[in-house]
Amino acid sequence: MLNILWRNMKWRYQNPLTVIFTILQPLIWLLLYSTVAGQALNGMGYGNYMAFVLPGIMILVTFSACGSGGFINFIMKSNGSFYRILIAPLSRYSIVFGQILESVILSMIEASILFLIGIFFSVTVASGFAGILLMIPLIFLTAFSMSGLSYALSLLLPNMMIYETIMNAVVLPVFFLSSALFPVDNLSGVLKTVILLNPFTHVINMLRELIFNQDVNLTGVFGVILLLSLLGTVCFFFAVHRLKMLTVQ
Amino acid sequence: MLAVDAKKVVKKYSNGVIALDGLDLEVKRGEIFSLLGPNGAGKSSLINILTTFYKPTSGRVSILGRDLCAEPGFVRSHIACVAQNVSIDNHLSLIENMIFQSRLYKVDTQTASQRIKSLIESFELEQYMKYPVASYSGGIKRRLDIAMNMVSHPDILFLDEPTVGMDVESRKSMWNMLFKIKKEYGTTILLTTHYIEEADQLSDTVCIMKKGRVLVQGTAEELRKFTRQNLIRVIFSKPDEAKKYAAEFEKMNFVNFCDRNRNTVTITTNDAGRDFKSINRHLLTGNAEFDSLEIVNPSLEDIFMSHMNCGKDMKGKSIC
Repeated sequence: MLNILWRNMKWRYQNPLTVIFTILQPLIWLLLYSTVAGQALNGMGYGNYMAFVLPGIMILVTFSACGSGGFINFIMKSNGSFYRILIAPLSRYSIVFGQILESVILSMIEASILFLIGIFFSVTVASGFAGILLMIPLIFLTAFSMSGLSYALSLLLPNMMIYETIMNAVVLPVFFLSSALFPVDNLSGVLKTVILLNPFTHVINMLRELIFNQDVNLTGVFGVILLLSLLGTVCFFFAVHRLKMLTVQ
Repeated sequence: MLAVDAKKVVKKYSNGVIALDGLDLEVKRGEIFSLLGPNGAGKSSLINILTTFYKPTSGRVSILGRDLCAEPGFVRSHIACVAQNVSIDNHLSLIENMIFQSRLYKVDTQTASQRIKSLIESFELEQYMKYPVASYSGGIKRRLDIAMNMVSHPDILFLDEPTVGMDVESRKSMWNMLFKIKKEYGTTILLTTHYIEEADQLSDTVCIMKKGRVLVQGTAEELRKFTRQNLIRVIFSKPDEAKKYAAEFEKMNFVNFCDRNRNTVTITTNDAGRDFKSINRHLLTGNAEFDSLEIVNPSLEDIFMSHMNCGKDMKGKSIC
């Protein structure tokens, strides 16, 4: 597992543009959108709007970084190294874990960068150091779920173009149909139901609570951790299943 | 114990194409075994099955006495495969590629270090260590690919068309490398090739495949014996004459197969010694203009061509 992680990290290190482009769009959202929308929404009771959107943007950057993990897999599939790994005496679980862990690490680094930029622009975490510590498993498990899904899709779909189309079709609706940009309390009907069914709404809400509330809602945090653990497990086993289907078991 | 023992292997793809059609194959330990056949013969499908990449649709495959489908882990730890596409990682250095491979096969660090050093020397790769792998020529990449696959000291090394696209010199150098692997490491080598000369020069055993079945299998010498005395070659003075007589020979009931190439007509029969006289009589009666008439010792190419045009598999089933 660590061997595959090492190889993928070497690839990422030699292709820094992939790091820049995965963080660029979320960074633009954070810096430009929060400034423009923050001014438009001034006086509507959001307080620091950058602090409000920061959790959603941190989730968006994990989507972006994890999606790029699938692209790496397509690149590896197009040369022979994918075949070499599949016929090596390795557990299929180790292969999947090694592959997705690289995207998870990248997600954690990029989410940290955005968080630090938020701090620089006067975002504060009301729940303090404990709140920051609780953010780590929330981001990690979000990235683990998305990375597992991306890897499974890269094994399932025939080429990179279709993969990109599908990922865009998944990521953007999931982002917009969440509480990333606006509060959903005043919404009603089908739209609210859809947003509440989106598991990332609850992750974003929980991260937001940790930023705005002094008191940590431990029950809520562990509930979301449980939800993400379930999602991550399903995505991981889906990826393992797709990989197992490719070879003799 | 056999290195590879395949019985009645069938591979049918989801689009209905049957790549392997009840194939039987035996590869002895320590030999160089060549699979020879045209495109679509099923060579690569067979390699993919033997290396645990594809599941056979039916049939039984044993590698080193263990069932491939029941114990893929054991099989994987005892084989390595140099695929048609070079499988090295361009973003890793030469040494890093070899270290990565050794870790995949759980070779301990000290042993891996010794083997890597020895393989770099054996495959004459020292001079390329300082350059990025992406800058290597196709031949050097292929050499590194083979060296890398030897890091785990596999019992069986599969090579899928290892010399395709190589110039004559690089191909000869590759042959020497394969002889060295067999001699120094005792590795069983199973390779696929389009090149008859390659199979002839390299192999202890040659297997000719067509349409997913084995047509004939044996040593290059045995294959020659298989048709020895059964080829009659006539060289005519003019191509028109050759064309006319080729058509007549095809109608003779003792002629199995007749091949014409410009002025030359090659006839396959069951008993060349006996049929030589009939052919000679027919040519003389017709006042044919020909320069020579002879019984020839067939080359591997003759055997290959005679089986490719119309052959029977090892069970006697006709494949035309």
